[in-house]
Amino acid sequence: MRLFYLVKKEILEIIRQRELLVLLFLAPLIQIIILGYVITTDIKNVPVEVVNLSNSRAASEITARLRASPLFRVVKLSEKPEKAEDVLRRGEVRALIEFRDSPGRGRWAWTLPEVHILMDGIDANSSQIAAGYVNGIIKDYLQEKLRRAGLPMPVEAKTLIRYNPRLRSINTMGPGIVALLLTILSVFTTAFSFVREREQHTMDTLLMSRLRPMEIFVGKAMPAVLIGLLDMVLGIGVVILWFHIPLRGSVLYLFLASLLYLAAILSYALIISTVVVNQSQAMFFSWFSLVLFLLLSGFLTPLESIWARAPALAVLTEINPLRYLIKIIREIFLKGNGPAFFWRDLLALGGIAVVLTSLSLLNFRRFISK
Amino acid sequence: MRRLRAVMAKEFFHLLRDPRSLSVVFIMPLVQIFIFGYAISFDLENIPVAVIDLDHSEPSARLIKDFERSTVFVLKPLSGARREGDFAAADRALRAGRVKEVLVIPAGFAGRIRQGRTAEVGLIIDGSDSNVANRIYQYNQMIIQRFAAGLKGLEDIFQVKTKVYFNPESRSVFFFVPGLVAVILLMISAMLTASSIARERELGSVELLFISPLRSGEIILGKTLPYVLVALATGSFILFFSHFWFGVPLRGSLPVLLLFALLFVLTGLSFGVLISTLAPSQRVAMLGSVLATLLPSIMLSGFIFPLDSLSAPLRALSEIIPATHFLRIIRGVAIKGADLRHFLKEGASLAGLSLITLSLAVLRFTRLRRARR
Repeated sequence: MRLFYLVKKEILEIIRQRELLVLLFLAPLIQIIILGYVITTDIKNVPVEVVNLSNSRAASEITARLRASPLFRVVKLSEKPEKAEDVLRRGEVRALIEFRDSPGRGRWAWTLPEVHILMDGIDANSSQIAAGYVNGIIKDYLQEKLRRAGLPMPVEAKTLIRYNPRLRSINTMGPGIVALLLTILSVFTTAFSFVREREQHTMDTLLMSRLRPMEIFVGKAMPAVLIGLLDMVLGIGVVILWFHIPLRGSVLYLFLASLLYLAAILSYALIISTVVVNQSQAMFFSWFSLVLFLLLSGFLTPLESIWARAPALAVLTEINPLRYLIKIIREIFLKGNGPAFFWRDLLALGGIAVVLTSLSLLNFRRFISK
Repeated sequence: MRRLRAVMAKEFFHLLRDPRSLSVVFIMPLVQIFIFGYAISFDLENIPVAVIDLDHSEPSARLIKDFERSTVFVLKPLSGARREGDFAAADRALRAGRVKEVLVIPAGFAGRIRQGRTAEVGLIIDGSDSNVANRIYQYNQMIIQRFAAGLKGLEDIFQVKTKVYFNPESRSVFFFVPGLVAVILLMISAMLTASSIARERELGSVELLFISPLRSGEIILGKTLPYVLVALATGSFILFFSHFWFGVPLRGSLPVLLLFALLFVLTGLSFGVLISTLAPSQRVAMLGSVLATLLPSIMLSGFIFPLDSLSAPLRALSEIIPATHFLRIIRGVAIKGADLRHFLKEGASLAGLSLITLSLAVLRFTRLRRARR
């Protein structure tokens, strides 16, 4: 019952600030919608320049295909040699595609030019994919030619993509964004709790009240759990209704995983709140941890090869609760998997939650005994 | 001018009196650059692939060998497969994520090749991570097309040569580390100022500022400028670290880069001040500055996702995000060796953005002040 009053106070403090309410509920919705459109790992519209130094028909036919393809935006077409490095430095195009005639290639009934792809290597990922596209366009052209000449390709691949047949990025990223916003909102509402009371000298009042330490602890975490779950429902609603991402698995496990995750992350935020001395430090620590959680979660970049690359950091990804939440969310949303497929992740998440909560409680006892 | 100096001096004292926060501002970005320089990468290696070979012929073995030889894939035996061609076991492995792809070579593969007909190969890819799936698909096409061309002795029918400029080894570090410098710099500068006025409002000391003879513009500027030094120092610090530790090149001129960095942190600080005048408490200021800067500068600036693929309205939106401009600048100057004249537009955008946000902050502060009278 006493606990109820503390929860009520905390919730009142949030409701009283209209700006905070907007940030907690409206801003996440807008962000999910905007980010949903932004996060596209699909590479298309790649700006390129075509330099055609060849007189062959093949070169102009392939150029026509490049121009027609939605994957490329042919910014400029030139027939004179260009200094590739200068063009790339200006940064208007990501690659130059150059066709050149080479002597001594008269083995074929039609002349084939040499193709050079000169690309900007900074964004190596996109450039490689773009080069792959050029190769694909050329190979398709060639296959057609061969088929017309009565020489079909001996082997062809039939590809079937499961769980996300059209490879929509939003299907992969959308549910993850919800997890991300959940993290931001709950960390930032909780990391300030004790340090603010301390800065405003109301901590003593709280300690002198008849509330037991345990009740103070729970009372501080509870509103954030409620807000987190509410935001989760809102976010998942947007993802399903606005972006039409199918929820194939069980909602129950989705919320179980979110609750475990909230327990872990809020305990962590409460630890921050007791070790820092003022609110700006709380902010810096929360921000630091957020970026860490986010970039080591496999949300944006694949984690498959991290063990080979940096084993010491791979350990960090193993204890990152967000990693497990995102994995479970993707399993449930896209694959429609049941717990048989992710019980290990759920267990790991639960383990992290238990460890962090106990640490946080111990730390809180030490904090109030001071 | 003297009054402006007084406000600046006051802010400096605030900074120096809290050395712990100040050291946090320097140490955290360093740790982040260090961790992410190693940890973040798009490199794909060791993608587990299961093979179902129903043909058992010399060509099928050769195709499997081609997959095995590539650095991207590792072959993984299907655990729990009761008989050969156990598709249910393959499906389970794919579902559980133990393999990302199943390669199926149907019976009669070699026969069809011998008859000069097109033989098909089945590939089942886990699409749940769309980017990874896309890349797996591309690698597949490459391997299979090369295999097909090899059967006909056509490997060299069409020569495609690729040359990579600026980053010949295609190292992800060159892409991510300069990006991180931009993102971290923006966050630090926005957060440094985000709490400044909100704190005074929360503590009530803003009243003293309200009734002082200081003009609103002087207060806002005085609260912004001292942090330029701090943010710029952090910026150069992580820039040098990424150069000496990760070997990120610095091909362009350092003064030009620092000049743009100065403009950039000024923009970040102005965003922070604007948020600070809008927020009634520090909690709101922090949450606001994180929501307004963290996600947009990671997602909408070209830090990870290329902006080319975006639709026109979103690309327009990305132009009002300061990190977008600085990312182009830092990648251009540091790695491509571009110079000042290539980035006049970006510089103007940054200056314009900070001018607009600062004026908005002054307007808002004046309104707060009037409301108290």
